[in-house]
Amino acid sequence: AVNMSQETSMALQEFLSQAELIKQGAEARVYRAQFLGKPTILKQRFPKRYRHPLLDEKLTHRRTVQEVRSILRCRRAGISAPVVYFVDYASHCIFLEEIVGSSTVRDYIASTRRSDASEDLGWLAERVGQILARMHDEDVVHGDLTTSNMLLRHGLEDGESELFLIDFGLSYISALPEDKGVDLYVLEKAFLSTHPSTEALFQRLLKSYAAASSKSSAVFKKLDEVRLRGRKRSMVG
Amino acid sequence: MHSTHELELFPEYKVTQMLFKDVQNAAELRQCAVEGKIKGALINPTMVLVAANKAVSLQKMGKMKTRSLFSEIIFNLSPTNNISEAFKRFGSSDGDDSVLVVLVHDKDEPQLLSDITARVSGRQVPAEDVSTLTDHAKIKKLYKIPPQEEKCGTLLDAVVCRMATKDVM
Ligand SMILES: Nc1ncnc2c1ncn2[C@@H]1O[C@H](COP(=O)(O)O)[C@@H](O)[C@H]1O
Repeated sequence: AVNMSQETSMALQEFLSQAELIKQGAEARVYRAQFLGKPTILKQRFPKRYRHPLLDEKLTHRRTVQEVRSILRCRRAGISAPVVYFVDYASHCIFLEEIVGSSTVRDYIASTRRSDASEDLGWLAERVGQILARMHDEDVVHGDLTTSNMLLRHGLEDGESELFLIDFGLSYISALPEDKGVDLYVLEKAFLSTHPSTEALFQRLLKSYAAASSKSSAVFKKLDEVRLRGRKRSMVG
Repeated sequence: MHSTHELELFPEYKVTQMLFKDVQNAAELRQCAVEGKIKGALINPTMVLVAANKAVSLQKMGKMKTRSLFSEIIFNLSPTNNISEAFKRFGSSDGDDSVLVVLVHDKDEPQLLSDITARVSGRQVPAEDVSTLTDHAKIKKLYKIPPQEEKCGTLLDAVVCRMATKDVM
């Protein structure tokens, strides 16, 4: 069986050598390729040399499993996330639908503010708040919320754009307001440092989260606590 | 008429789908165990590719849940891990008048295809037409697809996601 699984990873390696590498991250490589005749994004998690091999294998496997579970859970609830085409558990490789013609919310905000600082991005902040509220109401905690982990595809016919959540590798299922509060705190930090002077925009995001979620008051209470803790920590140094 | 797709991940394999309608001899076909026969109505060519790719991958790892590549394809189409249920729903049965034949082979094999055609007494139609046989209501029920899921994609997307991830759900 060992030889057999080496054979699969040979096939995968061969396939990846033809694919276009679009991101070399700390945990994974992301490629673009055609798969089963469709534009596909491949994400391969690789071993971390400093971790014990068995532990590393377990952790990597868990992240792969968590990622596909959370995608399915979101989709079942009508929250857009890429279709899963294939999971190679031996090589920790996930084959996902490519959201063709999309840009990251990060790039969209940056380029909009660059080209016309007066353009109102409030609608987008509201969309993000809504989708996160729905995700949290399904008890999915993303674990790595940034504007790079959201894709925006501009509508072809109706002009409506569609917002997708991606990169669920650190996600987990939890009903605890604390976990959701931390999720929002991580986003707040990332959002305000990636997009300077957007405090008002982020407030709009939170407001629409509150309007869309049935459990927002407990989550916001935790968010406040986490902010306070963060501030205290930075005061201590 | 038939549709052939090379498995990008395993380029030494091709998957050919041949669809027949008005089939008179389904029982006979089953008897002589034409390789990998699948009932229409519940499937679509993309689902077959997803199932075949996964079957080849598991075969190479020695991790198939069933005894042959073809039974594995049928098993992979099913939303549950119950093998006999998968055959009941996705294998062909004696009274069927539509049969989809799925072949996994290494190169273009015209001989293989004409052998199949000769054996089926029925009318070959374009393999893509299998989608026109799709029973949407049946699919939604079998794969337990809630209405709101169709807001973020097609029925096919929903089915493919479930097929691809059922082993860890
Ligand atoms: N499903 C997808 N469709 C289109 N682009 C994607 C997809 N997944 C990831 N990307 C792109 O690849 C980058 C890295 O992916 P990730 O490591 O999953 O955040 C993202 O910032 C996107 O630009």
